[in-house]
Formats: sequence, structure tokens, C-alpha cells
Amino acid sequence: MSKKAQNSQPFFQPEDQVPLPPKGADVITTCCDYCVMACGFKVYRWPTDVPNGGPKKDQNALGLNYPLRPGQGGWVGPNQYTQGKWQGKMHHMAVVADHKARVVNVGGGHSIRGGCIAQKIYNPQKPTQDRLQHPMVRINDLLMPVTWDFALDIAAEVSKHVIRTHGESAWAMKYFSYQYFENTYALTKLALKAINSPAVAHHDHPSFVNSVPGWVDIGYDIFGASHEDFALADCVLISGTDPFETKTTLWNHWILKGINGNQTKVIMVNPRRTAGVAYAEKHGGLHLDILPGSDTVVHMAIERVIVENGWEDADFIRDRVANHWETDSGFGQGTRNTPWQWRTTWGKFQVKGFDDWKEWLLAQEESKVEVAAKIAGIDPQKIYLAAEMMAKPKADGTRVKTSICIEKGNYWSNNYLNTASIGTLGAILGCGGRPGQIMTRLGGHQRGGVSGGKYPTWKSPYKVPGRRRHRLDLDRWLEDGHVRFAYVVGTTWIQAMPGSSALQDAFKRQTKLNPHQVRSFDKQTIIDTLKRRVDSGGMVVANQDIYLRDPIGNQYADLVLPAATWGEEDFTRANSERRVRLYGKFCDAPGEALPDWKIAAKFAKKMGFMGFDWKDANEVFEETCRFSRGSRKDYNAIRVVARRKGMRAHDFLRGFGTRGLQTPLLLHGDRIIETKRLHDYNRKDIPDSGPEAATVYNKRLLAFKTQTGKLNLVKSPWKLWADFYDFMQPKGDELWVTNGRINELWESGFDDYERRPYTQQRWPMNFIEIHPVDAELRGIESGDLVSVESHRVPVQTDFNLGVKSDDMWFSGLMKDGHIELVTGAYSAIAMVTPAIKQGVAFSEFLKPSMPANVITPRVPDPITQNYRFKIASARVTRLGESVFKHSFSQMSFKRRDIV
Amino acid sequence: MSKQTDNKGKPGACMTRRTFLFGTGAAVAGTVLLPGLPGLEGKALAAEIARYPRKLIGQLSALQLNTPLKFNYPDEAQNSNSLLFRLDAPAGGGIGPDQNVVAFNALCTHMGGLLDGAGAFSAADQALGPCPLHQTSFDLTRHGIVIGGHATESLPQVLLELEGDDIYAVGMLGLIYGRFDNLKTG
Repeated sequence: MSKKAQNSQPFFQPEDQVPLPPKGADVITTCCDYCVMACGFKVYRWPTDVPNGGPKKDQNALGLNYPLRPGQGGWVGPNQYTQGKWQGKMHHMAVVADHKARVVNVGGGHSIRGGCIAQKIYNPQKPTQDRLQHPMVRINDLLMPVTWDFALDIAAEVSKHVIRTHGESAWAMKYFSYQYFENTYALTKLALKAINSPAVAHHDHPSFVNSVPGWVDIGYDIFGASHEDFALADCVLISGTDPFETKTTLWNHWILKGINGNQTKVIMVNPRRTAGVAYAEKHGGLHLDILPGSDTVVHMAIERVIVENGWEDADFIRDRVANHWETDSGFGQGTRNTPWQWRTTWGKFQVKGFDDWKEWLLAQEESKVEVAAKIAGIDPQKIYLAAEMMAKPKADGTRVKTSICIEKGNYWSNNYLNTASIGTLGAILGCGGRPGQIMTRLGGHQRGGVSGGKYPTWKSPYKVPGRRRHRLDLDRWLEDGHVRFAYVVGTTWIQAMPGSSALQDAFKRQTKLNPHQVRSFDKQTIIDTLKRRVDSGGMVVANQDIYLRDPIGNQYADLVLPAATWGEEDFTRANSERRVRLYGKFCDAPGEALPDWKIAAKFAKKMGFMGFDWKDANEVFEETCRFSRGSRKDYNAIRVVARRKGMRAHDFLRGFGTRGLQTPLLLHGDRIIETKRLHDYNRKDIPDSGPEAATVYNKRLLAFKTQTGKLNLVKSPWKLWADFYDFMQPKGDELWVTNGRINELWESGFDDYERRPYTQQRWPMNFIEIHPVDAELRGIESGDLVSVESHRVPVQTDFNLGVKSDDMWFSGLMKDGHIELVTGAYSAIAMVTPAIKQGVAFSEFLKPSMPANVITPRVPDPITQNYRFKIASARVTRLGESVFKHSFSQMSFKRRDIV
Repeated sequence: MSKQTDNKGKPGACMTRRTFLFGTGAAVAGTVLLPGLPGLEGKALAAEIARYPRKLIGQLSALQLNTPLKFNYPDEAQNSNSLLFRLDAPAGGGIGPDQNVVAFNALCTHMGGLLDGAGAFSAADQALGPCPLHQTSFDLTRHGIVIGGHATESLPQVLLELEGDDIYAVGMLGLIYGRFDNLKTG
């Protein structure tokens, strides 16, 4: 018998005591910084030289008697406690899910990520000690601290030179779409309004595009639901994610409330049998364990079973779905004005009402249940069962209340067709706008984007066949050498994009390998050197972040700008049910770090732009308010009412605590009316005074988001996807390798993987789930280190002028030499489990040092310019045993779907 | 409060009972007979383990494989519910000839769901959970680490000693849900 068990010790010695906040501690409300739920939290803060609280409710700021009872929220565990600075003085800080919350995380629920969020606070004794604290310039290949003025003078002078000499399209910004209204507004005001560059992209797309374009054409808003709807539905179809893993309190509170209180049946579409899938199955649900990228045919087959049985919602279709006369040639938007003009031409997608669509559907070979089941690799009976669960009327003739929700496994495998076909499925089932009958994305990051300018589509050089233009593909633009100044804000650009090895080569080529390198502290010499760099075809990179990221900051950035983050500034943001809250400032930012909005403003002013003179975050917020009018998160009423009361808008919102206000907000006199769900055509509380000057009533409040206010049915012809899908299918001994988030590793690297000792204990490296049959064939056991490698990762190159209709399809691009096949490889720890479908493997998507994106294809959906992150094939090969295989102190190889 | 904040979590200057339990290669025949080792009895124990009571919780010979035995530790008060296991594989911190005897507090560290009910223990997986509240599960062979779910701490492990056939609980790794100090109950 091995001595290892007896001699083992945990990765670190866990705490067995935690100080309680004393009565009188400062209490600041905030929300979790991570997933789209945005659970309400309270921060308890008290100076380190003040005695701690006691166990009686009148002795502590929580107002709770200790010990807490099982199931009682509000516990301060070791990971909910840290120390940080406030106004220069060390304080105890406990960050605890709000046990008095009545919305979102009712009763104080939280995820493992939110539960550990106290550990995000800058604490010089903890893993956050390496926060960026000072602006830095790369001199002789070392990042050297400088002053803000020094760094931003260089950024501004080089930027002005780039814009003047190479045009505004050579000035690029890659930034987070989500990190608070104040920041996204200031950044886009600089990039889109002041500079007006088309070379702007979010952290998760190559272009400024919509993730769920099928729903744009159909008329569904992507966040139209209320969390409560999940507890009211009879049946919920969840596609491409498991909220147990990724939207924790949606599962823990709302979906479980439905399953256990309302006997809600949950259908999960996912190649993995996750813990949520296992629970759903145990409670009358269904697992559609499809192969990656096969969703569309499964949707079509379910639709076929529904219409063949006459189970569609005929009343809804009659009243709420556009008929022949209501569907004009541009989805009700005009042929030239749809976001992607060609979707409306040539009749590829649009139909003349329900009967026309039904005729098309029944004529499709792929909509036949047996054919679809074969493509998806599932039992055909599951398709019949799913259709029955979602659509078959109850014994008394009433309809089943069905809701549909999707996330990245769905829309980032086959972007347009998956979203179009599942949206159409929703439309024939009557989803949208009714309690328990909704259509929504589940969401990733929170909704913190407000645009400070309009995207100049007309400047994009990507001209494709017909009257059509794609927005600029920033990754391709960069790789082709057109980006001369890259402003990278809060994203690990390289590993976050597919085909990332080739992208990294491009960065290296255009920065490090360029002969013009800075070797002096003389500011003018630096500026002149960098101008020579950009004039020689090279690129200057400014990376603004909270940590020094590798490689974008550590290896390629010429300028590193330290940002302040959550808790270090008053910020505002919306969540997945459009609830806007104030995230209060409660600690000092480290060193000289500044909030992103302030850095962007300083940068803009140095470039000579007007309109960046905000004094504080509240002034930025107040400026954003009017631009939210008419949007799904219309919060302009906050500013209007606050001003009438003589208050700052931030302070007014702060008064609503963790409850916040659910947008769009309507105004009736001084009364703010919230919106529970969009497309609510039965809604009765619209003020009879109509829209006041300060508010705009968007059509989506009371109808669907189309010209007619009715839903458009859309076709989803499989052949538009088939050539790419054929190429991506595993060949020889390859496996499908898909990727995603898991519960413990949500925040993609900089927090979970690198700065949470508990999470590092659980996940010291990236992993790959592999089916026992596939593992045995390759001699792989749980705990083995394996390589995941592909030599045929497709990357789209230089293509920017299409003439014939098939030029833009994968086979056309390949034939014309616009697809380069590159290599990609990462290592991972094998987790052999029957919970992953045979023939498929699964890794976490963004371990920065072992990134799954090295093997994902950098060929965006030609219809929508979205990447297909979840589709990759690779060889998986055993390298040997990892140290974790026999260790008792790190990792666990137990299956995650124990019921 | 009495918490020592100096060298917690760092290797101490003196040998603690915990260091001895987990760190030493000097274990005899797979069991730890602490009182039998000269010079160690009652001495050189770090504060955090010395402050725990030493409590007889069962007999090795009476433990059935994969049949959890309930006990209370470190006291009889709220949330002291604990489980003693004889697993069918060696486990981190395990005692006995097969190093498979371990014990844990039975409250989920997410929100305190009780894991000592029927069916909470999965023998096939040597795991505790999924928790009846929100389905967090814990690996009993690896110091109670979270397999999947929402808990922010491993299941608190009860440290064990074997003296002849008697199993003693002698300390804990980690904080019990709902407490701020394992040894303070109000």
C-alpha cells in the first residue's frame, strides 16, 4: 500500500476561523462582477484596528445569530473575507451574497465565482498582489514604469500620426463589450465618435456584430425574459450551455424552483452530460446529446414533428407571426437596410408566412427525423420526445407553456442557421412575451455596453457579393498588416480568438520582430521610433488592463496602462433580465491605476478631442443615459428623476440597492415604471400619458422587433453550412474537440485560474474530458497529460472582395486560396468520463497558457461574421502521467454528473 | 479574538501534530500511534490543532465499507454533524492499514445543505453529494475537494488518529458552514 494517502496534505492549509464584521461596519452594496446574473452582494468594511463583531445578531453587522442554520444565507466563509485599503488605511472586508436579496439571488445564493469575489480585491498579501500599478513603456524590451503623462503623450502622438498618415482604419480598438456603462461609453466615444474608426471589435468577435442574428431577422430581443419565467414554464429547452455550470443562481433559484415547484421539464441540448443535465433527466427532463454543430437539423426535425401533428400554436401564428402580405422583401426592414443586406435577398431565408415555411420545411431532407438524428448522432426517439414535451397539447387541450433559451454552444457553432432555426421553432410554439413562454439568451458577461458613437459600416473594406458589405474583421485586418496602432482594453486578445497561434505570429511579426524598437527614455525619440515602426508596416500596441497579461501585455505591448476595476470606482451595469444596479466603490485602486473611462478621456484629450471633460464616473453615466433611450436597457428615467430631485444619477440608483431597476424604464410623472419582460403584448401598465419627452417607447415593449411587430419565420437551408461542417468533421483518428466554461473556471484566466488558490487546487491546468472508449483506444487514463493538436486549423486570410455568390462560402474561399491551414496545439489533463459523448472531447475555453482556441477555426460565419468557436477537430495523444494522477492534494477525477 | 495571525499556513518552527500526520514518512505500519512516540505526547502541538478536543468516535474493526457513521465534532452544537467513512480506496489523510478511513463535516460549504441523509454518499464515486440544495458534490478521497458545484471551500476534513482499534477525531481542516470559528458556538 502506498504511503501517499497518509502523507498527503491539501494544496494549502484552509482557514478555520474568519472575523465577523462588527456592528457599525460600513455596508456598501454591489453585485458580482462575473456572470450575467449579477447576484447582489454586500461589502462589510471595518478598519483593522477596530474589534471584530461577535456571534449574536446585535454584535455583528450581518444581523445574524451564529452559528447559522443549514441553508441559511449570509455566511462569511474564508473566501468571502480579505483585507484591502480604503482611503489609504487597511480595512477588513467581507463580501457576502446579499441574504436579504429578493431578486436574482434570492436569499443570498451565489456561485463559486461570486462566492470567492472578495479575493478579487487588491491585497498585497494575496494573489492579487501583482495588479498593475503604474503606466509602463517598453524600453530595451523591458516594461519600465513611467508617469501617466509620459505614457499617454506617446500613445496620443503615435495615434495622431497613424490616423494622419495611414487613415483612421489603421487605428484599432479591441475592448470588452461588458465592463460597465461608464467605461464602454468613454472608450467608444473615443474610437467610434472622435476617431470614427471601423477597426473596432469586442472581446469575443472579430467584428462589431450581433451574436444572435437569426433572432434579429425573426424579431426576438435576446434578453427579453424575466428570471421568473424559468420558474413558470412547463417546459424549458436549454441549448448550448448548462446554467448549473455558468449561470449559477438562475439554476439554483429559478430553474430549480420550476423543476421542484412547477414540475417544469427541462430539455438540455449539449454533448456533455453535466450535473444540470443529470438533474434535469432525473426530474423528467431530456438530454439531447448532439454532436457539435448539428443543432440546426435537430431544430428542423422537431419542427417537422410539431407541424405534422398540428401541435403548433395556431392562434399565436395567426396573430403574431407575419403572413404573406406582412413579410416584405427585407424582413420588414427594406432590402437595403437590414444589418446584413444579403440575408434579405435571393430568397434564401425569408418566407411568405407560415404555410410557405411549412412547405419548405417538409421538403428538406435534413428535417426528416431519421436523417437529422443520424447527422446529430442521437437516438431519433429523442426528437419525437422533445417535440412532444415542448408542443403536444395537454389532455385538457391547453397548450404547454414552453420557453427556449440558448447560449454559446448553440450560436457559436453554426451562428446564423442555429439561431434562425431555433428562433423559428420558438415562433411556431408561441414563445415570447408571455409569463413562462419566453425566448432568450442565457448570457455570458453582464450587459455593460453603451455606445458613445456609431459604427461606420461604410468604411469597412470587406465588400462581398451583391449590395453587401461586412463589418471590418479586425483579426484578419491585423494579420494582413493594416493595423498600425492597437488599443487593447481588458481582453486577452490573442488566446480569446480562434486560430490563436497564427494571430500570435502576426503580433510578434509586427511588434517584436520590427527593427524599430525603443531604446531611450527620451520621449520625442520614443515617439519618433514608434512612428518609424508604423511607417515601416509595423504596429504599436497599448494594452490597458488590471494585470499584465501574457503575451499581449507581457510580450507585445509598447505601452501598458493600469486600470481600476470592480469595487474601485462607482459603476453601473445591467444583467440578464435588464436590471440596472450601481456597483459601489468600496476600496482604493492599487498604485496609480485609473478607471478605464478616465484613461480613455485623458488619451482623447491629449489627441485634441473635445467632450471628454468628465469630473467623475457619475458625469459619464449621466451623459450615457440619453443614449440608452429606446433600447432594451433604457435607463434615462434615472437621470431625469434624479435631476428633478436634485440628486446625482449614481446616488439615486444607489438607493435601489441590489434590487436596482428593471429596464426599459418608463416615466409617468415622477414615477418610474419598470419592465418585467419585453414583447409583452398583454401589458397593461403603460402610462396613458404616453411617452414623455424623456422616454422613447421602443416597439419591442409591446410587440416584436420587426417592421410589422410580428415575428418573421425564417428558413435554415443546411447546405449553406455543409461544406464548412464537412471540413471540420474529425478525420482519421481525430476527435471533435469543443470547449466552454465550467462552474469553477468561468472568468477565463485572470481571476479564477491564476488568482484563486482554491480554484488552482481544483484546476491547476486545463483539462480535456474524453469518453472511456476514445480514451482506451489512445491508451489514456484520467490524470494523464495529453496533447491536443491539429495541423489543419483553417484561418481566413486577405479576402475582401467577393463577386460571385459562392465566393464567400468556405469551399469558394478554399478554392480561391483564401484559407490558410495552420497548426495549433495545447496540452491538457485527461478526464476520462462517460459524461462526454463518444467521439467528442471538451476543454475549458480560455486557460491562457493552454488555450483551446489554438485549434478553433478562424473562419467567421460568412453570413454574420461570428466565429464558430465550438467547432474543432484534433488528435489527442497521451504524453505521460501528470503529477496530479496520484496526488491527493490537487484536482479530482470524479465524474461531474453524479446524481 | 484568539486567532493567531503570525505564521498560519506557513511551515512552523515546531512540528505540529498536523504536520506530523500529513508530512512525515515515519509512520509505522500505516497507522499513527502518536502517544507511543517518545517525546511527542502532549507536546509540540501548534495552537490550531491543540485547541481541538480529542474525541473517541469509533472502532476501526466496526466500520463497514462504504457505510458512513454519524458523529458530532468538535462539539455537540449546531452544525457539528460529521461522517466517518471507510472508503474502498486510499484517501488523502486516510488512516488505518488501507489508509481509507476519513471523516468530514456533513454541511455543504456552499449554503449549509445537510449531506448526512440517506443517499448523500455515492459509494461508486467515493463522493458526498450532490447536495440536496444546489447539487454541489465533494471528493472524499481528495480532502473533500469540490468535484462540481458552487461551494467555495472543500468539505471540512476531520483529522483522525488511530490508537489500537480506537479512532479519535483530533482536529479539523477548514471552517464548518455557518460558524466563524469551529470552536465557538455562540
